[in-house]
Amino acid sequence: MNPLIFTTILMTVLLGTMIVMMSSHWLMIWIGFEMNLLAIIPILMKKYNPRTMEASTKYFLTQATASMLLMMAIIINLMHSGQWTITKVFNPTASIIMTSALAMKLGLTPFHFWVPEVTQGISLTSGLILLTWQKLAPMSILYQISPSINLNILLTMAVLSILVGGWGGLNQTQLRKIMAYSSIAHMGWMTAVLVYSPTLTMLNMLIYIMMTLTMFMLFIQSSSTTTLSLSHTWNKTPLTTTLILITLLSMGGLPPLSGFMPKWMIIQELTKNSSIILPTLMAIMALLNLYFYMRLTYSTSLTMFPSTNNMKMKWQFETKQITLLPPLIVMSSLLLPLTPMLSILD
Amino acid sequence: MLKIIIPTIMLMPLTWLSKKNMIWINTTTYSLLISLISLSLLNQPSNNSLNFSLMFFSDPLSAPLLVLTTWLLPLMLMASQHHLSKEPLIRKKLYITMLTMLQTLLIMTFTATELISFYILFEATLVPTLIIITRWGNQTERLNAGLYFLFYTLMGSLPLLVALISIQNLTGSLNFLLIQYWNQALPDSWSNIFLWLACMMAFMVKMPLYGLHLWLPKAHVEAPIAGSMVLAAILLKLGGYGMLRITTMLNPQTSFMAYPFLMLSLWGMIMTSSICLRQTDLKSLIAYSSVSHMALVIVAVLIQTPWSYMGATALMIAHGLTSSMLFCLANSNYERTHSRTMILARGLQTLLPLMAAWWLLASLTNLALPPSINLIGELFVVMSSFSWSNITIILMGTNITITALYSLYMLITTQRGKYTHHINSIKPSFTRENALMALHMTPLLLLSLNPKIILGFTY
Repeated sequence: MNPLIFTTILMTVLLGTMIVMMSSHWLMIWIGFEMNLLAIIPILMKKYNPRTMEASTKYFLTQATASMLLMMAIIINLMHSGQWTITKVFNPTASIIMTSALAMKLGLTPFHFWVPEVTQGISLTSGLILLTWQKLAPMSILYQISPSINLNILLTMAVLSILVGGWGGLNQTQLRKIMAYSSIAHMGWMTAVLVYSPTLTMLNMLIYIMMTLTMFMLFIQSSSTTTLSLSHTWNKTPLTTTLILITLLSMGGLPPLSGFMPKWMIIQELTKNSSIILPTLMAIMALLNLYFYMRLTYSTSLTMFPSTNNMKMKWQFETKQITLLPPLIVMSSLLLPLTPMLSILD
Repeated sequence: MLKIIIPTIMLMPLTWLSKKNMIWINTTTYSLLISLISLSLLNQPSNNSLNFSLMFFSDPLSAPLLVLTTWLLPLMLMASQHHLSKEPLIRKKLYITMLTMLQTLLIMTFTATELISFYILFEATLVPTLIIITRWGNQTERLNAGLYFLFYTLMGSLPLLVALISIQNLTGSLNFLLIQYWNQALPDSWSNIFLWLACMMAFMVKMPLYGLHLWLPKAHVEAPIAGSMVLAAILLKLGGYGMLRITTMLNPQTSFMAYPFLMLSLWGMIMTSSICLRQTDLKSLIAYSSVSHMALVIVAVLIQTPWSYMGATALMIAHGLTSSMLFCLANSNYERTHSRTMILARGLQTLLPLMAAWWLLASLTNLALPPSINLIGELFVVMSSFSWSNITIILMGTNITITALYSLYMLITTQRGKYTHHINSIKPSFTRENALMALHMTPLLLLSLNPKIILGFTY
């Protein structure tokens, strides 16, 4: 793509999300979502083949439906409250419709079906933008309407997402689908604590974005999209195998890595609000996620997968320089001792 | 406590910056020096614990475990030298780094004041151990072993996290030194029963309790020698240590909640001892023997009398040294014959008489021969369980008999009789191996002269 056009389109995506996050008028928020959606379609279709067309179409259809539902919720809210300012939603029906719309945008169960298929159909960099940047806008709206969200629906969707994210990822060998299911599960964790403490949702979002960025960049560096091609990294850049191990364990939520921090804080917040069975269940279901991360680490860093002789020649090509990778790796694995600093997020 | 933790952390730059011919010398020497520093902790004031800071303390229960941990690192390094000799330098350094990281986390776990900090470090010890087992183990089964190890422990410990946080909400603080003073009885309700279960299951899986022990034979057998040593000597004791700490908060439910676990442990110790008699794999025999000894510790902790706590602590230290020594001996066999089958290398006494002396001492301490500290531990546990219920003496007596049977079976099969003819070309014992066995045995024998330092806080 022409670099100038690509920059413009990327800026539009960023602008769309910024408009959503900074507006106080409901209509502007809807406009921001639409801008974001329209501008990201060319980015998803950077390579022009039927697979990306299918993925982009699926993405467009689901997101457009969600925007329409959002519009309906806004209108119902307007009807009952008489104003367009974004505060809590004044009508339970509007609240439920808005929650469903935002869940569709985020990829929460039962609206999660598009996430693996869209993520699989696009390139790694587009998948990166899809799973990290695109989650910011809906999450910011959920944050702002959090006082009026129906707790039953939200918690049901959250718990089901963690279940689906865990079980769905078990049978996958394609890395992008694994990341998609991981995203579904993490969205579940984030929305579970939204009503109790939106700060922790933001914390979880921050750490999730860091870890997903790290994972995608490690995949981009070795240009691997399947478990099999990831298992060749010991040949090309042996250090990457250790980094993949650390980041995957962090995503699985193992102490002492930073992925444990959001889980710990969320369990603490839920327990303080006298729900004990829910966090126990969520924590145990997160172990399903850990299982397929462990399977990835087994094939990548903890064993030396057999490879043919032509695979051993890959070292002759230049390794990609990804500048942002070292600080991301440090942040996605070593942040746990900084937990007392969470008070700055309030 | 930082005087032990910071030198241990600095062992990692030491390995990475050492020259190729100095890594083993440097790391072993400095880790031995660190263990000498930790010996000063054994001087405990009689009424309270040594309180170093807000985050670290050491009391008569954790001090011997800490000394055992720091003592074990040089031994692990000495034991690993042979099987790593053919690996490239970076992998050797990675291995030593894993061991050092594990050591740091273990030291911090045993001295943690706050229970959540203990939990985080307890979980954190899983990661280096998993890497050691799956990356450096020898057979394909090591992958399955690592998964079983990780998931059994995590399934047990996630409810513990929730339980600790809810206790913190109820009582305001999880600082162990405070809790022992303002402890009150838990009211009797269904949710407190689940709280009891949530607190204890993590440690039961770690000990391991008989029904949840499936990860242990896999992990112990598939791990390389340092992994087996640290698993048997220390990581199992984490479970015992945790149980000893957390049962102070869980009265009075323990009086009736403990029954199922007591039954499982009492039956399990006989079952696992009997299985030892039918094992063909030497490391598997020692692994099941660990389960059996730890079942005694579980019985002791759940009975909650002063004598049983003394027995539990003494048994933990004694079993740590003995089990680790048995694994080293099994490894010395494995390095020569590359097989763990017991009957492949028999009659070693004719070929390696000094090693046979170490085998004899290890087997004798394993079957709790007086006056070793193993006997003190087992005897205290047997006596306190007899006072708890007279019938347990039948099971305990049977267990002691069967323990003697399999220890002697192991000794006689590997050492006595006519040697198998294909091993007459094995290398003689290295000085390093003899030193390793001596360093295991000397503390064990010396402690029988002054066992009060390992008898824990009820002495």
